[in-house]
Order: sequence, then structure tokens, then C-alpha cells
Amino acid sequence: MSAAISSLLQVNAVGKRYGDRRVLDAVSFTVARGERIALTGPSGSGKTTLLNCLGGVDRPDEGNIVLQGESIGELDSNALARLRRQRIGTVFQFFHLLPTLTVRENIELPLQLLQVPAAERTTRVQSFVERVGLVARADALPGQLSGGEQQRVAIARALVHRPSLILADEPTGNLDSANGANILALLRELTGETGTALVLVTHSEEAAAICHRRIHLRDGRVTAES
Amino acid sequence: MSTALVTTLLHRVILRQWRLAPRATLLLTGILALGVAVYVSIRLANRAAVASFTHFTDTLTGQSDWIIQAPAGALAESVLPELRRALGARPVHVIPVLEATAAAPAAGGDGGRFGRPSYTLLGVDLIGVSNLARSADGVGAYYGQSTPDRADSAEAADFWEALRAGPQVWISPEFAPTPPRQLSLVLDERVVELRVAGVIPSAPEAPRVPANLMVMDLASLQRLTGKEGWIDRIEFIVEAGPRQAEQRAELAALLAELGRDRWSLSSPGARRESAEVMTRAFRLNLTVLSLIALLVGLYLIFQALDGAVVRRRGEIAVLRSLGVEERTIRQVWLAEAAVLGLVGGTLGVALGWLGAQVSVRAVGQTVNALYFGTTVNQANLSVSEALLGIVLGVVTSVAAGWWPASAAARTPPAQVLHRGSAPAVGARWARSPMIAGGCLLLAVACAQLPGFPLPGGGRFPVAGYAAAFLAIFGGGILCSHLLAPVARLASAWGRRRAPACVALSHLRQPSGRHRLAAAALHCAIGMTAGMAILVGSFDQTVRNWVQRTLQADLYIASDGAQTANAQNRISADAAAALAAHPTVAAANVLVAWRIELDGRPTVLSGTDFAVLQARMDLPWIDPPPAGTAFIGQEGPTPVVVSESFTERFDRRSGDSVRVTTSTGSRDLRIVGVFADYGNEQGSILLDRSHLVDWFRDTSVTSVSLWLQPGVDADTVRADLLAQYPGLSVLTNSRLRAEILRIFRQTFAITYALEIIGVLVAVIGLVLTLTSVLLDRRDELTTLRALGFSRHEIAVATAIEGTALSAAAVAGGLALSLGLGWLLIHVINKQSFGWTLGFALPWGQLAALGLLVTLAGAAVSYGVGRWGANLPADQEA
Repeated sequence: MSAAISSLLQVNAVGKRYGDRRVLDAVSFTVARGERIALTGPSGSGKTTLLNCLGGVDRPDEGNIVLQGESIGELDSNALARLRRQRIGTVFQFFHLLPTLTVRENIELPLQLLQVPAAERTTRVQSFVERVGLVARADALPGQLSGGEQQRVAIARALVHRPSLILADEPTGNLDSANGANILALLRELTGETGTALVLVTHSEEAAAICHRRIHLRDGRVTAES
Repeated sequence: MSTALVTTLLHRVILRQWRLAPRATLLLTGILALGVAVYVSIRLANRAAVASFTHFTDTLTGQSDWIIQAPAGALAESVLPELRRALGARPVHVIPVLEATAAAPAAGGDGGRFGRPSYTLLGVDLIGVSNLARSADGVGAYYGQSTPDRADSAEAADFWEALRAGPQVWISPEFAPTPPRQLSLVLDERVVELRVAGVIPSAPEAPRVPANLMVMDLASLQRLTGKEGWIDRIEFIVEAGPRQAEQRAELAALLAELGRDRWSLSSPGARRESAEVMTRAFRLNLTVLSLIALLVGLYLIFQALDGAVVRRRGEIAVLRSLGVEERTIRQVWLAEAAVLGLVGGTLGVALGWLGAQVSVRAVGQTVNALYFGTTVNQANLSVSEALLGIVLGVVTSVAAGWWPASAAARTPPAQVLHRGSAPAVGARWARSPMIAGGCLLLAVACAQLPGFPLPGGGRFPVAGYAAAFLAIFGGGILCSHLLAPVARLASAWGRRRAPACVALSHLRQPSGRHRLAAAALHCAIGMTAGMAILVGSFDQTVRNWVQRTLQADLYIASDGAQTANAQNRISADAAAALAAHPTVAAANVLVAWRIELDGRPTVLSGTDFAVLQARMDLPWIDPPPAGTAFIGQEGPTPVVVSESFTERFDRRSGDSVRVTTSTGSRDLRIVGVFADYGNEQGSILLDRSHLVDWFRDTSVTSVSLWLQPGVDADTVRADLLAQYPGLSVLTNSRLRAEILRIFRQTFAITYALEIIGVLVAVIGLVLTLTSVLLDRRDELTTLRALGFSRHEIAVATAIEGTALSAAAVAGGLALSLGLGWLLIHVINKQSFGWTLGFALPWGQLAALGLLVTLAGAAVSYGVGRWGANLPADQEA
């Protein structure tokens, strides 16, 4: 079996420019199913741009990205939206929960997008609410939660529709160390249980430590892989 | 230092932004300009329509010092020798004047019978007026002028010869580029041919000669109108000199002493003022409506500046973190609003002047139909009007910019840099149902208060407008509380769909912007639907009134009567001949005399009460007791009065009225009140036989004919028109259609202003949703990351906008019921004194609601597509 078939995600010589500035330069790597990868590097090294390209939010100028055999660069905007809703979950540094939806409704949203039947939605949402320890706060609005609680909701939302890949951008960057450690443990557990791959952008050694591999970027290029 | 900083920031942060985004700046300026333009154009048109009520003699002689005229009817010419004797050697010019109205003959067919040019014919002593003008500076006489026939100077001898040759007129220089040689005019029931002798010379420093003025020799006009020996008024001019002011006062005292009950003494200024008073309620109501455009302009500026603050929150954060004080930030944003106001106000004044050239015709048509003849077709802009428009633009813009400027100043850098904060829900008072309820209770209380009495008669419904404002304000707050229930209601359907779920969640906890947009849309819908209810009720009431009062088959009047104050009559002989037509079963006549009561104009009308009671059905507000006799009674003459009369003169059934006629004062007793939607000044109706005695005049204003069964009205009409080309003969159906056409024409401006209101509110919805999406930019990023397509994001925004519009429509239509009631029973009643039935134009209201909801959906979808294409919000 070739690497192209066995791997979940292939990043092939991806390049990206903003005007005259080259942000990504011939970045290549693969991610296997269930594998956790840490993308590290100083500010401005291109980590977030790469993550946006992996999620189909931004398009590379060169190279291609293949997720489960499908080349992201060849998809139109509707197909990209479908790809994201079916196969990708995203966790942000600033949580980005919808402030007007309750905890339960925020977690339910990806399932609604996939038109999962109501009964199954209820079961899966309840299961994740319990799994992230927020049963008592399930009907609260995000504004009524602490940062750590909000990030737990964000993780539940990223995983509830059983994606094959989680993209997480500094998920502990806005949390204190205790909450950060809890979130990392939750991410490791849940991705481990569900066999979901994780690409984690981070500056934090603790966060990088939960990953199987580490890819270091500098000035848009991969300078180290371990 | 602070001023220097504000200037620097204004230049580098704000004005530079204008250059970078010129379209947004132009849009903002345009919105403001539109609001100012509507106000300025209505103001200019109003002023021009009233200013056109010129005291015509002023244009010939310069301003008179004093005028005497009979309290009712005409003044006998025989008073002239008496006056000359009494004046002795005083340096006073005496100018007798006879005034008549005439119209151009119809071009043919009914289409040409209405809205034709109407003229005022002024009969004066031409030699006296010429001498007066020459004594001033040697210009402007009625001989020695250019004529169409002769470009060379004519001699005085020619002038006398010309006078002997037959009736001739001098016309306005504005009449046509090339004056015609001959003119056909309808005067009373006849078409007369008049030779054009020349153009009217202006007196020094006199107002410009109006286009509708024609001058004739006094004797010629007396002969033409059959008023030999009668004049309408006498004007007096005191010659300039060191004792002029003293002599003017002495003259007033002498004229008052001589006149007693025979004539009334007034100044031209007082007459001009009476025209202003007559139309004040109409003009005030129009001005209030024009302010609505400015208010919605204010709302749009607010939305646009608020959006700009949201977009540039990052910049503000940087400035704040660099140490710029809150006060300075507020000043910079207010300075931007002021500059925008200056530019928009200036542009608005120019646009308003252009708009006034169009609206002046519409205002003029209404004034023509309801008050007096005007020929105004252009509105001039004075420096003070221009300055007022600009100041209004600046004040509106600064007022609109106050909240956004304060919001900008209050935004702490930390909050800006911290993402994910919930949107502001608005001030507590703006969400308080208690305040809303208080406003509505106050509105109900205000609606019970009487109108504010205007000097010279009539009332202005200040409390009525205050009630409307309070209802709109309170209703706006309550309407914002409809957002959550509407969202919950729609959630039952939307729960299965992600875009609906997201969209409706925003309305379950609406932001301040949502509330404001809903309130503004609710206000625009409420006012438009309220106006539709008023017009619908008016329409139905007038239809019923016309149905009941117009029972005859043919209606006949002088074809020269084209305006509300036209004086054209039908001679008694012609009226008798019309009634004697072989096809006529019955006839009635109406004669109207314009009189003054308590110093205010009204109408004294006479008709044959026997025919009226047998064949007509007056719509009574307060009917006379059964068996009331209108002739042959001892004591005060029994009369019925119109409803407007009771409001205007505060007289009811059972009250007495003393009126002055050509032959002295007469006592009247009011025995009933009827509805009359054709005359705002009020009217007194009595048996015509009394008026013939009191005015010694047998002419009539109109004749109505009932034809024998089976006779075709159109055939008789054609026959009568052939016999009397100077008469207007209308069939029953044609007159009904014409009355309704005039009625609808009076509401044309109102409709236009209301439509602007709804358009602006829908544009406001666009700006609101734009600001909302910009404010939720990180949420858009999240939605995209979650797999929402652009279409789904647009659909979510469309659902949000549609639900918001639906809530506003529901609230607005509820408001319109209250506003409709206020307009009908308070504002209209106090302004015009008319009782109207309440009618709901269901079709129009449903169409308005549907249209606004669909427009809300369409524009929201468009904004959603735009939002979905915004670049992804970059994470740190």
C-alpha cells in the first residue's frame, strides 16, 4: 500500500504568497489516521496560514493538499464547505463559540449541518456534553462560561460529527496552565478514542508533547521534523 | 493641544479614510443630502405657493398704504367723490380697483377642462396708475410702451383711441416670450376676445409681475363683468415727503371714521398675512412630513457612522493604546460627522432647490384646489434658506454621530483585542417595557388635548403630533420585544436547519442594532400604513359624501372658475334659461359670497331649500329639527353650517352669528351642521332668497339640473355647451371623478414622502445587517470553519433579516392602527375640522407588509452574500 493511500492527509510542496512576501515555501508532510502532529515555530512563520490552507479556508498558490484522496485545491467553495462539515473539526485559540447559542446548541450545530436525524443528534450531543463534563452547564450561553469551559465546548463541537481530522490553533493559548493541561488531556483522550488525526498549531512545549510528531516552521519553510 | 490633535487625527485617520473608501463617503453624504433636500424643497415650495398670493396692485404701484373694501360683496363707486372731498388737499393717491378671475378656454374634450391657466384681471384707472409710476421715476406707463403691434413709442392720443377701440389687456412680461395679439378668456359664462395692448410696466421697487396677472381699464372690466358702478376695493398711497408717516396715520384715522360699517380698513401686509393664515395648517402639516425625511436621514447616518466605528475598532484600539483620550476620540468622530453634515447639507440645499421646482407645482395645485389661485411654478432660494439647510445638515449629522462617537470613545483597547465578546444589547431605557408603556399612556393622554390655536383662526394639532411621536417611540421599544417571540415561533421550523438555527438564535437575544433596525422599520411601516388608513378613510368618506350630495344629472358653472377663490358667476338670465331647458325636470342654484367673520374669511352660500330638501341628501353631522322652515321666519335667519365652520369659529347648533352684507349686518341662527369636505374655511348655508335681498345680486355660482326620465345627460350637455361656450357642464359621473381626482392629488406629496421613509428604512436594514456582520466577523470565520457554504451564510442572514422585518411589519401595522386613528380623529379634525369614518384598506396594508418583508429578505440575502465573501478573520 502506498503512502498516498495509507495517509489521511498529504501536504505536497505547498507555497503561498501575500503580495511579494512568501508566507509558505514548499511545505510537505503527511499525517496518518489517528496521528497527532504539532506545528511549531515563531510568530510569522506561517503556521496559521498553513492551518487555514489545510482547512480549505485559504488556498495555496503552489503545491496541493490531499485529504482522504481528495485534492483540496480542485474543490470549489461549496465542495470545500462540504469537506469541512464532513471531515474536519476546528478548535480556535479564542474558542469562537456562537454567543447566542447554548452549550448544547453549539455542539449540535455541525450535526444540523449534516442533517443528522434529531434523535441521533440528541444522543450524540448528550454524550459529548457528558464527556466534556458540562452536563450542569448544557443550557448556559458561552458568555456564562469560563475560558476553560468554553474551550471544552469547542472541542466537543469539533468532534461531535466524527471528523477524520481536527485542526487546532493554539487551543491553550488563552487559558491558564491548569485549564490548558486539562484541555490538552481532553484533546488527547478524545482524539485517541475516536481515532481522529490532530494538527495542532502551538508555541507551547506542553501542547507539543501530546503529539506523536513535531514539524517546525521558520519563514514559511519546514526546518525540522521529529 | 487637544484641538491640534483632533485636527491631525481628523486629517490622518478620518479624511484619509474618505479618500481610501470614496464610495462609502459619497453614499453617506448622499443620504444626508437627500434628507436635507426633502426638507428644503418642501419649505421652498410652501413659501413660494404662499408668496404667489401677491397683493396684485403692489406690482403696479408699489406698496399701498391702506386699503378699504366692503365687508361682503362689492363697494359702490359712489363713495369715490365723497372720499376725494374728505381727503381735500392731502397728498394721497386714490386707486379704485375691480378684480375678476378668468381662465383660458378649454382646448377641447374633458381632458382639457381642468387645471387650465387661471388669470386675475385687475381693473384700474390706467391714467392714474401711469401718472403714479411716472411721478416716481418716469418709467412704467400704460402708453408709450412696446406693444405687439408697434415697437415704436405710442403717444397718449393713441392710447385714448385704443381704449375707445374696445376692451384690451396688458399682460405679464412672463406670459410668453412673444406676447400674443389677441386673447380668448372665459369670464363668467361668456368667452370674450381681448386685444393685447402691451406688457405691464413694473412700478419702481415693486414685486415682479406674476405670470397670471392681466390689467384692464377699470371701466372696461366693469362693463365686461356687468359690474358698472361697483368696485372691489380702494387703495391709498401717501406721497413721499417729510410728514409721510404722520400723514399715513392721519389717513387711517380719517378712513376709519368715514367708513364705520360701510367698509373695512386694512394694510397690504395684513392681507398677505391672511393668505399665510389660511394655508398655515396645510403648510405646517407638510413641513412636519418633510421632517420625517430628515429624521430617517438621521437614522441612516447613525447606522452608517456606527458601521464605520465597528469597522475601524482596531484603529481606535491602537489610538487608545497610544494614549489618545476618550474625549479626543469622541471629538474626532463628531468632527467627522460635522464635516459630513457640512458637505451633505450644502449638496442637500442644491438638490432641495432643484426638487422645489418640481414640488412647487404639486403644492401649488393643492393650494389652488383648497385655498386660492396661484401660478407659482418656480421656487427661489434665499441665503437664509440655504444657511438653514446647511445648519440642519450639520446638526442632523452631529446628532446622528453622537452615539457612535461615544461608543468609539468608550471602547477600551482590551475589549477590542479580546475576541468573542457578545454584542451590545443597547441602553437599558431603550429596552424597558415600562418606558414603552409610559409613552403609550402619555400618547393617549396627549390625544385628548385640543389643538393649539393659530393666530387668525384654525388650530395646529401640537398635542396630536406629540401623541404620534410618543406612540412611535413607545411602539418602537415594544416592537424590539417582538424579535424574540418571532424568533422562538420560527425556531419550531428552524430547529432542523443549521442556518435558521444560527440566525434565529441572534434574534432570541437581539443586539442594540437589531432593536434599532426593527424600531426604525416599524416606524416607517407604521407611518406609511397610518397614512394609507387616513387616505383610505378619507377616500371612502368623500365617496359617500359625493354619493349623497351629488344627486343631480348635470352641474353647471362658469368655465372660468378654475381655483378655490374664483369669482366667476352665471347671470340670473342664463341660470333661468338653463332651468327652462325642455329636458329639465328640476333645477337648483347655489350662490357663494366670500365674507369675513371675526376677521377671518368664510363663505356665505345660498340655495333653494325647497329643492334641496326634496331632491338632495345633505350628510348631517347635527341635523336641524324636523319641520324647520328656512324662509318666512321672524327674527334671526335660520342657517346650517359646515363642520369646518363649527371648528373654525367655535359656533354650534343654537348659537347666533352676525354677518355683514352689502346692505348691512344680519343676524343668523345656526339650526344644523352638515359635512362638507370641499371647503376648509367653513361655510354658512341658507335660503338663496335672503342673499338676493341682502346683496342685491341675482347672479349664481352654479346650477344643478335634474333631467326628465330617459333623457341622455351627455346629449343635453353637448346641447348646453353649444349654446353657452363659456360654461362648464359636467355630468354627475364626471364631476364625481373630478372631485376624487382633486382629493387624491392633494395627497400626492404625502405619499411620496412616506415612500421615501420606507425606502430609507430598508436601506437602514442593509446598513444594520452590514454592521452586524462586521461585528460578527469572527463568527463568520467560525461558520466557514464549521462547513457553512457561502449560500448557507447568506441564507442565515436572510432569515435573520426576514424575521426582523416580519417583527417590524407586525409592530408597524399595529402602530398604524393607532396612528391612523390619531390622524383621522385628532390631527385631521384639529387641522381641517373634518369628521371621517375609519376605513381599513386591507389590500394596501397586506401588500405593504408583504413588500417590506420580501424586500427585507432580498436585501438581507445580498448582505449575507457580501458577508460570506469577507476575508477570513486572521488569528494571532
